[in-house]
Amino acid sequence: MKKRFLLIGSLLCSSLAFGQAYQLNMQGMRQLAMGGSGAAIPWDASAIFYNPGALSALENPQVYASMNAVMPRTRYISAPTGTGMQDAEEQVFTPYNVYFATPVGYKTRFTAGFGIYTPFGTGINWGNDWTGRNIVQEMRLNTTFFQPTLAFQVSDEISVGAGFVYATGNFKHTNTMPIINANGDEATRELTGRASGVGFNLGLHIRAAENVQFGITYRSQVNMKIRNGYARFANIPTYITGSYLNTSFESTLPMPQVLTVGAGWDISEWVTLQLEANYTGWAANDSLKFDFDNNTDMLMDESSARRYRNSITLRAGAKFNFRNERWSAMLGTAYVPSPVREGYLSPAMPDAVHFLATGGLSWKLSKRISLIGALEYRIYEVRTGKSTEHGFKGKYHTKWLNPGLAISYDFN
Amino acid sequence: MKKLYILGAIVCGLAACKPNIEPKAPERGDADFSRYMAIGSSHTAGIMNRSLYREGQENAYPYMLAEQFRLVGGGEFKQPWIPGEHGWPLGKLMQDMAQGPCDTLPYKAIVPFRGALDTAGAHLNIYSQGPFGNMGIPETKVSDYITAGFANTNRFARRMFNKPATARPVDELLLPEHTFFTLWLGVEDVLNYAAAGGETPPSANNRNLLTSPALFRNAYDSVLTTAIRNGAKGVVLTIPDVLLMPYFRALPARSLDLSLRDANRLNLKYNNTQVHFDVGMNYYLIEDKTAPNGYRQLREGEMIRMDVPHDSIACAGWGWEVPMPSVWVITLDEIQNIRNATANYNDIIYMLAKQYNIPVADVRYFMQTVQKDGTQYNGANYNYEFIQGGFFSLDGRHLTGRGNALIANDIITIINGHYGSSIPYVDVNKYSGIKQP
Repeated sequence: MKKRFLLIGSLLCSSLAFGQAYQLNMQGMRQLAMGGSGAAIPWDASAIFYNPGALSALENPQVYASMNAVMPRTRYISAPTGTGMQDAEEQVFTPYNVYFATPVGYKTRFTAGFGIYTPFGTGINWGNDWTGRNIVQEMRLNTTFFQPTLAFQVSDEISVGAGFVYATGNFKHTNTMPIINANGDEATRELTGRASGVGFNLGLHIRAAENVQFGITYRSQVNMKIRNGYARFANIPTYITGSYLNTSFESTLPMPQVLTVGAGWDISEWVTLQLEANYTGWAANDSLKFDFDNNTDMLMDESSARRYRNSITLRAGAKFNFRNERWSAMLGTAYVPSPVREGYLSPAMPDAVHFLATGGLSWKLSKRISLIGALEYRIYEVRTGKSTEHGFKGKYHTKWLNPGLAISYDFN
Repeated sequence: MKKLYILGAIVCGLAACKPNIEPKAPERGDADFSRYMAIGSSHTAGIMNRSLYREGQENAYPYMLAEQFRLVGGGEFKQPWIPGEHGWPLGKLMQDMAQGPCDTLPYKAIVPFRGALDTAGAHLNIYSQGPFGNMGIPETKVSDYITAGFANTNRFARRMFNKPATARPVDELLLPEHTFFTLWLGVEDVLNYAAAGGETPPSANNRNLLTSPALFRNAYDSVLTTAIRNGAKGVVLTIPDVLLMPYFRALPARSLDLSLRDANRLNLKYNNTQVHFDVGMNYYLIEDKTAPNGYRQLREGEMIRMDVPHDSIACAGWGWEVPMPSVWVITLDEIQNIRNATANYNDIIYMLAKQYNIPVADVRYFMQTVQKDGTQYNGANYNYEFIQGGFFSLDGRHLTGRGNALIANDIITIINGHYGSSIPYVDVNKYSGIKQP
């Protein structure tokens, strides 16, 4: 027993050093309010994402839609004695989710659903003239997943579900190159592209007792391929324009696999608890490669090491029912390590270990309509590190505020 | 949607989502940076692309240091500005297309600024605009500092000195009442000799002779004791290995490319001598009084000055039809003289610095690192490669703005370490680099 404990301990230590990188984890509003946990308890149609197996619990056809307003604020300070300070542009990102699910017929064991959601994405804009412009000026990645889903109730206790995923996305990266033209302007490069890929989402839901439920889900890795990206160059000195012609490029952006184990427990009529662990296969993001169509003496294919490490995220959430049955409140927290190793900390994604503090309210407006509001606040560690590849050192701090709102409509 | 933004804006307005790390406030430590004086020669004054002009002065390392010192109590830092951007007294070097009389096609070359220079009036004495913090005087050797009336022979000194006709440069250093100094002298004591092909009298100009160690020591001691008077603190810099500079490396000793026909013809011409040419790359033929017939081919390790006239090689046959004049080459003996002198001078610098307890910024070592491995700053690589390396300007001896910024950071490291200050580094990529046409 002790040995096993040690093993688990060392696993935690080795893989949990420092979040979330480009994973968003806000595919359901109640789940977000409960620290991002949601595999064990089927709350609503968002189970299409959180646990396709749990979708069987849905009694009526339901439409569910939500949107967030993610407001990350990141600051950079040059290390070690820097007065150099840069605030990334204040941006608002709006991930959204739309789900529809329905039992297939009356008193059936099958439930079908379709989800459109945005599980991965990131973006940062440091401005065109900042000190790290040779590495990144602006970076942006967004994804949209389309998932038809079918759930099957095996028995009163067990149900399973599966979904097929088709994903599309957009990628953009701009930076300067250390080449100066006759006017004294630095050469710039912009990479843009549409990406797509396929994957799947499996779920198992177990109602172990009247008040205890478990969920195990596996979301596969989705390799988003950019088949026809576009590389554009500007301010190239006249005599070497031939070496930097606009060209197409190929690349693959891996969206990691996630294995989730979760438990839910109705402690009383008033309080429900959820606990969850996610194992995220970040190691898939080993390097970022750009394969340019027209290679020249100066434009060669690129491979930039990322060497992300797999991570385990721990989540906990609670729901409190009010005496007025229309209202409930949620609270949650999570510990999110960073998959980014020391030496690979890039201003394109200055990730750091963080904690979540989340909360929300749900209001059953009528028999059919429910509203859920949630607020997520992330407490990031101040991280000092460097990108060895670029010789770029610094101290980063991110604050993250994310309000969101969901509405669901039951056809009952 | 809109409500969501408004809600967010309200909460964010409460600063809950502003990062709250702040940069460490710079501290001055034990030194007083209120009045900074830079003592030095061409590199200090801001020579770039072989000439002095406004951009070069704005990208000189003392100007960068003064800006950083201002964060820890530094005051005004005046420079003897040159009016104009084209260079004085010579036009600055640029990259452009050129075609000599023997070239069938134009090629990308290093050429002086073409056209009328905009630096009229640069020769006028502007002492009254001082006192200058940047006392860097281009083309000065350490030994010049104790020469009375030196400004009579140096136009840069003449325009900024109080008493140009009679003063020794070291006397003029007394005028800015400085509290902190940097001292980078001695580079020209070797570089002048090397860049003139290591000639000795009678063919050589006196200014291009190596300074004797005794004179070097005497003059350096005078400058340093002047620098530290009234308890001023500072830092002294070592002399880099000038022979690693692109000026001596851009044209390799064995880069004479001959066709079979030319090689055969030349071998016939130099029949019964040591000279032998092959098809492909050959060592250039040079003048050497000690060799039989007064000429020989270059040897491995010997160097050619980068500015040897291209037309003379192509049209006049320098290096193959006729021996290349010895003023354009640095032979193994001369290389040894340069190495010995540099080592001697650096020993003296270290010894005197220790004696007066002044820290040494070993830019010799830093520049050697840049030459060997290159250095990286925020995604840009810098090394000794001519043009592409981004460290040296187009003259192959003086630095680009970014090269100067790297030197400035090396100096700041030493200052912070010795005086317990925390002066921030300069943002290297903010300064001017090599402009490519």
